[in-house]
Amino acid sequence: MRALAILIRNREAGLLLLIGILTLAASLVDPSFVAANWLDILINSVPALIIACGVMLVIVCGEIDISVGSLLGVLAAMLGLLCSTSAPGMGLHPWLGIAVVLAAGGVVGLCTGCLVVFGRVPSIIVTLGLLIALDGAQDWMIGGGDIKNFPSQLRWLGTGGRVPVDLCIAAGVVFATWIVCNRMAMGRRIYALGSNPASARLAGISEARTKLFAFTVTGLLTGLAAILWVAKFGNVSTSTGVGLELKVVTCVVVGGVAITGGRGRLAGVVLAVILITMIRTVLNFMDLGPEAVKWQRAIEGAMILLAVVTDHFGQRDGRAKGGLSG
Amino acid sequence: MKGYRYELILIGLLVCVLGLAGVLDPSFLKIEVQLELSREIWELALLALGMTLIIITGGIDLSVGSAMGICSVALGLAMHGGLPVPVCIVICLLTGVAAGSLNGVLVTKIKVHPLLVTLATYGMYRGFAEGLQGATTNAPVEALPDLKALFAGTFPLVPVLCVALAIAAGLVLSRTVAGRTIRAIGHNESAARFSGLAVDRLKFALYGATGFLAAVAALGYSARRSATAEAGMGLELDVITAVVVGGTSIYGGRGRILGTVLGVLLIHEARQFVDWHWQQAELTLIVIGSLLILSVLGHRLLFRVPGGR
Amino acid sequence: MSDALLAIEDLSKAYGGVQALGKVSLGIRTGEVHALCGENGAGKSTLIKCLTGVVKPDAGTISVSGKLLETGDVRLAEAAGIAVIHQESTSFPDLDAVDNLFVGREVKKGLLLDRAAMEKQAVVALGRLGLQLEVGRPLRSFTVAHRQMVEMARALLRDCRLLIMDEPTASLSARETEILLDLVKGLRADGVSVLYVSHRLEEVFALADRVTVLRDGQLVATSAIDAIDHAGLIKQMVGREVDALTRHGSHEGSTQQPCLEVRGLGSSGLFEDISLTVHRGEILGLGGLVGAGRSEVARAIFGVDAYQHGAVLVGGRQLEGGSVRAAMKAGIALVPEDRQHEGLVLPMPISENLTMAALPELSRFGLIDSREESKLVSELVARLSVRTGDPDLPVESLSGGNQQKVVLGKWLANRPDLLILDEPTRGVDVGAKAEIHRLIRELAAQGTATLVISSDLPELLAISDRILVMEGGRIRGELDGTRATQEEVLRLALPAGEASRRAARGNTREVSAS
Repeated sequence: MRALAILIRNREAGLLLLIGILTLAASLVDPSFVAANWLDILINSVPALIIACGVMLVIVCGEIDISVGSLLGVLAAMLGLLCSTSAPGMGLHPWLGIAVVLAAGGVVGLCTGCLVVFGRVPSIIVTLGLLIALDGAQDWMIGGGDIKNFPSQLRWLGTGGRVPVDLCIAAGVVFATWIVCNRMAMGRRIYALGSNPASARLAGISEARTKLFAFTVTGLLTGLAAILWVAKFGNVSTSTGVGLELKVVTCVVVGGVAITGGRGRLAGVVLAVILITMIRTVLNFMDLGPEAVKWQRAIEGAMILLAVVTDHFGQRDGRAKGGLSG
Repeated sequence: MKGYRYELILIGLLVCVLGLAGVLDPSFLKIEVQLELSREIWELALLALGMTLIIITGGIDLSVGSAMGICSVALGLAMHGGLPVPVCIVICLLTGVAAGSLNGVLVTKIKVHPLLVTLATYGMYRGFAEGLQGATTNAPVEALPDLKALFAGTFPLVPVLCVALAIAAGLVLSRTVAGRTIRAIGHNESAARFSGLAVDRLKFALYGATGFLAAVAALGYSARRSATAEAGMGLELDVITAVVVGGTSIYGGRGRILGTVLGVLLIHEARQFVDWHWQQAELTLIVIGSLLILSVLGHRLLFRVPGGR
Repeated sequence: MSDALLAIEDLSKAYGGVQALGKVSLGIRTGEVHALCGENGAGKSTLIKCLTGVVKPDAGTISVSGKLLETGDVRLAEAAGIAVIHQESTSFPDLDAVDNLFVGREVKKGLLLDRAAMEKQAVVALGRLGLQLEVGRPLRSFTVAHRQMVEMARALLRDCRLLIMDEPTASLSARETEILLDLVKGLRADGVSVLYVSHRLEEVFALADRVTVLRDGQLVATSAIDAIDHAGLIKQMVGREVDALTRHGSHEGSTQQPCLEVRGLGSSGLFEDISLTVHRGEILGLGGLVGAGRSEVARAIFGVDAYQHGAVLVGGRQLEGGSVRAAMKAGIALVPEDRQHEGLVLPMPISENLTMAALPELSRFGLIDSREESKLVSELVARLSVRTGDPDLPVESLSGGNQQKVVLGKWLANRPDLLILDEPTRGVDVGAKAEIHRLIRELAAQGTATLVISSDLPELLAISDRILVMEGGRIRGELDGTRATQEEVLRLALPAGEASRRAARGNTREVSAS
């Protein structure tokens, strides 16, 4: 019982345990599972991991961003149009394309932030609107067929390196996010704002600057994820990025970040991304036939439910304690 | 609750859209065309009624589209198994109520944030629908002729039901204890609880009822097309958009059925006209997404509602 | 006395036609405790907001040490050494003590935070207040008093020269209040000026050097504390003599007919073995420190929370636990402690708030009879003398005292047999307080059984027929309301060890005095 309480209280421990159980189960079916798949699982986590770092900041400061999937699609399509060497691509130099896509991601994030901060439109509405509109924009940009044929320098980002390049970049992003969250004033201000917006304002924290930072970073990181996505798959279609926003929000919440803001750790989010990517891999690996993969969404849904329900019980314990001491 | 200024603005916008249509493409306004196009509005409208009440309580239901999917698959399986039509209908409705009730239990008993609950069940219901369909028929099931005649035949059963429910919902919200409770919950749930209002029972009923509406929508959809796990895919976004464009506050407390009706009409007409005139589905998405953001922005600027969250 | 630290000249601020502050001028000296008094809506909060830069005044100037302060900028006010501790705790519950102390003003080494330096400074700053806390723990695990002291430490860290305290003791127990008052005296000795806003006049007289009274946004007077007494201060605040809280001595309404019987009520970790009886027409006071479990008992009786042991009987019949509706059906009403979060739905109209608990009687088959409703509303507005032009206005448009009347009215509409009042006059101005007391007595005289929870000792003594005192989740004793003294209540309310130590300390003081 006590162990259970610890697992509920400590999200990271619980997630590690689940990852362990899943690995063990897969290894029992086929002992080669770990050797054959661990790198794939990490590499497949990359886009969600990078974006989750940004979305986590947004959720911690008390807002939400559900437009990242569509934004990734649009930015990937943009990169395709700029850099693909076959029509309708313009065949520009990859670095130029990368710069434009990163800038565009940042600008969209900044605009989202502006609508939330200055327009006082709730972030769920802004990003829901963006989700729908960007989805349309993506379809429009791509038109009929997929965009293919990307220059090899770009592809290297997603396929090259003895240690995969994209994995290194993702690790760098996670490290940088950790620094921001725990070792920089901006991170503490993001937490403060989510924890108690009114007193954050009284403490002289600029709500506008803090939230704009979180949204802009999310946009930038979505741009980065789009670049790595294109580099890895060498292909952009109308389905690129579809549903990714839900996966990312799921990961952030399963990772223990409170949807009401102010609380949550990066380590939990990273573990949650790995766990959820792993479920997908295990389902594929077990080779239960094409039907089994269709249950994947059901399992992911059950996961998030489990996560929020345990979170709820963990919190209730904490609250009861607070009541006694207060 | 005085003044219908926002509703008047919505009517003005609707007139603008129809006026633009009249100028650019008068054939769009023909009765036959409108009737033909109106087939798709009813599912949206049904779900928007439940969603309005849920959002006024400060909640949200992202799972309505997925609930439609699982209802449709349940209906398909029942028909596939050769059950008589009334039994099939009952199975479909029960599935919907069960799906909605699960949301309701999680929100009221476990007290998880509705956004999270329904985000989870959004994936879960669609996953179950796809998994179930994949494991059994593995293809859409054609609706039985009797079912088709009932829900997509000459008598407009779904539209009549929908209008009746809209009037009922409007009356509930403005004239009854339940409606007062819904608004009180949206503004301040614990005060509602301290006043002895039946908070949990009402919330549970709303989620359950929305599941029921999803089942009715699934019946209409399946009769019109076929029973499939695809039913209602992405519809939750349209529904929320229509409700919010209709002037319901996403924070809860404020909202009216009349606004939602106008929001549904506006979204529907805008979408259908863009689709009809330019024949580009992607353009309709851009229009609707922008409409959502601009409507809330406009509401803020016009009415100076204090921002929050 | 030393020179002036802060000078306010002709400060004015209007909110949409209502003059919240009209040409207020005020000076605060270095190292003085300056009390600010006034009824709710007198303009105290507006004055504070102007000083801290949250609100920009329409006219007038503020200068600190002779230098003009640009108004309407939180950062500039802070830089000038003005800090505020608010009525509601403004800390960040999810952050630890160090982050709470430094947020918005972090110590940095290059781009990064210098955590070690901040921790060291935090320990020093808290030490200055005589506190030894685990600075790495999230603040939500601290007591309310400790959180408030962390805020004081935060103000000190920012080299604050003027500390504004807005009702700092509103949610503190008597002992915590005492510690806080000592701290304020310590600050004064260090040369910090304190602007002390409080409804508790005892504190004002114990602490302040001078006192300023505001009324209706106007300055009434600033006087040295020696030059004024209780009655005089109250007179300035209300502009008329108010009956001081007189004991209602005779209790003709009280009967021996039990209305509520609570037997051995217990809820793990909150309270245990609570037994009490409230008779018809009787006002039973429930005293004790904040956190003694009084509100929890009230919530359990009213069915807001479930309980594990014991039973609640109303009129001899056992009540189903954990159901507000069952409690209401049995004729119980609860006026909760937290008006804004539990008592009222602020954005909804006054009328709908007033009838919220009476909807079952006003409706048939769930349909509300609007004619019956408006009849009831006008009846209640008149009976409670709620000051409003239009009952269809949102209840948030009312002042605190009138809001509290609406909460009371909401339950009167229900004609309860048992009325439970949890801190009925907290944050309410003197005038409204008297009206609320009158109403409570009137109801008791009509036969309503009343259970009053109050941390305001004079109030508790003034209105109760009998007083039960709780401590540590248990009832520690019963007192006769007409004869009990504040000291008696306090002795029962303090934790056992604490009380004897206190008694001992009291004795030594007497000895040394004699």
